[in-house]
Amino acid sequence: MNILACPRLRSAACTALAAFLSCAAPSRAQSAPTVSSGAPAFREVTDEVGRNVRVPQPVRRIVSLAPSLTETIYTLGLQDRLVGDTDYCDYPPDAEKKAKVGGAINPSLERIVALHPDLVLVTKSLNRLETVRALAELGISSYATDPHTVDEIITSSEKLAGVLGVPEAGAAIASDMQHRLADLQRRIGALPPKRVLFVVWTQPLISVGKDTFIADALRQAGAVSIVDSEQSEQSWPQVSLEEVARLQPEFLVFAASHAERTPPTVEVLATFPGWRILDAVSNRRYAVISDAVNRPAPRIVTAIEDLARQLHPDAFVEKPENGRQKLEKENPAGNRQLSSHDYLSPRDPQVDGRTSGDGACAR
Amino acid sequence: MRPLTLHRLLLQCLLLLVILFFVVILALKFGAVPVSLYALGRDLLRVLFGQSSGISSDYGLIIVNIRLPRILLGIIVGASLSVAGTSFQALLRNPLADPYVLGVSSGAALGAILALIAEPHLTISPVFAALLTPLGAFLGAAATITAVYFLGRRQGQIDSSTLLLGGVITASFLSAIIMFLMNTLTGNLRGLAYWLMGDLSTSPQKSVYWFLGIGFLAATGAIYTTAGDLNLLLAGEKEAMHLGVDVPRVRLVVYIAASLLTGLAVSVSGAIGYVGLIVPHAMRLLFGSDHRTLLPTAALGGAIAVVFADTLARTVVAPAELAVGAVTAIAGAPLFIYLLRRRLA
Repeated sequence: MNILACPRLRSAACTALAAFLSCAAPSRAQSAPTVSSGAPAFREVTDEVGRNVRVPQPVRRIVSLAPSLTETIYTLGLQDRLVGDTDYCDYPPDAEKKAKVGGAINPSLERIVALHPDLVLVTKSLNRLETVRALAELGISSYATDPHTVDEIITSSEKLAGVLGVPEAGAAIASDMQHRLADLQRRIGALPPKRVLFVVWTQPLISVGKDTFIADALRQAGAVSIVDSEQSEQSWPQVSLEEVARLQPEFLVFAASHAERTPPTVEVLATFPGWRILDAVSNRRYAVISDAVNRPAPRIVTAIEDLARQLHPDAFVEKPENGRQKLEKENPAGNRQLSSHDYLSPRDPQVDGRTSGDGACAR
Repeated sequence: MRPLTLHRLLLQCLLLLVILFFVVILALKFGAVPVSLYALGRDLLRVLFGQSSGISSDYGLIIVNIRLPRILLGIIVGASLSVAGTSFQALLRNPLADPYVLGVSSGAALGAILALIAEPHLTISPVFAALLTPLGAFLGAAATITAVYFLGRRQGQIDSSTLLLGGVITASFLSAIIMFLMNTLTGNLRGLAYWLMGDLSTSPQKSVYWFLGIGFLAATGAIYTTAGDLNLLLAGEKEAMHLGVDVPRVRLVVYIAASLLTGLAVSVSGAIGYVGLIVPHAMRLLFGSDHRTLLPTAALGGAIAVVFADTLARTVVAPAELAVGAVTAIAGAPLFIYLLRRRLA
């Protein structure tokens, strides 16, 4: 509880908080409400930025403050427990229907409080430390992820599944991702990596630093970023076009949202004198992949496979039937949402038995 | 100038307090989550009468723990910026002076950022670490106003257009350094871009409120002791000196105190612009330019302005939020141009 000098107000806040945690609506009678009546109500976990987080058990109401975390929740089959997400959570399309709490950087604390979350999920690369601190002062637990590589995305998703009480779903996702990546390595592992420039933004030209999960995703897809060097300590370095012209990437890689398959920027770029000096531009050597590559969530494997297929098409020709099937499977047509059903068999029975909405209070 | 009576001062302050009260009610009622006036009144009465355990709804949490602290912060920040603006205007004899326009806010921001960068490398107690950012902001503000003051002097007199230009150039120079630091440094400085715009969305710890409140009262009190001298200074530094004003002392006191006010405000809310410009003008129009009444009325007016602007910032694009600095700049910049044109005409 911040601010309020007066201890009376502080205790007011504590009481109100305890009241909503224990879901005892009229708390007038309770002078010192204890939450831990009965089963252990909290579990101590260490999140990925090293904080000790008290996670209410079971986690029934989740607010996600990052599109990647929203996707992970859907993949884990926990979408019914997701009570709020950000304006940018647009995948799967169903995520857009959830209650919105604002942007990832400037979410409305009030909206979050009003959603009564058991746990708020944040990710260090997107959310602000101030938001996490403010939530802590309001007595709302937040769990932070911080993956920097594709492997860490896998372990991070698996760990998150454990925190949310669905370790089986987490293990299934992790093994699925690992299998697909291993399969990919069998096909392209021996091939020399293509030298690419991953374009985050064109004006100014922003690429990715070597410590980002995107740079690692490129490596997994049989590519190496031309800015993948000592000088790319920054996560999102602004790159000089001259430097790009000197290094002459074989491919430019763009991420397009699922709404637009080909970003108009690609053709527009070829009309700029500065960009025409790039061989990749004059030869139209582009790879356009899903913006899933921008999100540290399980779907990034699909983007990696897609990129590998565009950069190393020869590695995928010997088994045409297999390849086509895979394509259909991994690029769900139209608005069909990617859900856990696609590659996740057992759903946690606890999830299905759970009540949603305010009924969660009936414990 | 009419003689000051305690009666008139109290009446003016009472009027502004009533307005502030209604703006606070407005700010408590409106937000991303709708709260009924009835629930608000009920909860506030319970808080007032010590029956706070009766607040059962999460509305109570939203009102008491999110909106109220934020409003309190808005009041302190608005009052600080407005008093700082009033003081700069008197001392520099320039009605367009304002901590933001003069670059003092940018200097404070740079000082705060340098303090944030230095903090992990220093071995100091956590209590002092929390005060490092306000201290850095204060030093940055003080250094900037000193530099701008000397930039604006010509042949021993302050030249107002040189002063303003000097301030604007200093502000852009300091902003460039801030951009440079943000681009070179890795680590979590992303939040800074938002904070720089002027942002009240994240309330600091309770101890910081005490620090802010005491700092505000001390600095404003120090400036108020020079209120009579500031009135005489309006006639000019030489004239004031002939009338027996210890100009160097007044200048030192007011610069330090106004820098402190700006530094405190910037360290918790970033650079909220134009409050220190608009509010003193409005108060002068309403209540005259006697600094003995202008300083307290400007403080209250600044509080009203920032709380109101922040309410707009919270609600216009809800549930997302605007930076309050964007709201004050949209309202303040056109007014600045109007005042500038009127002065030139």
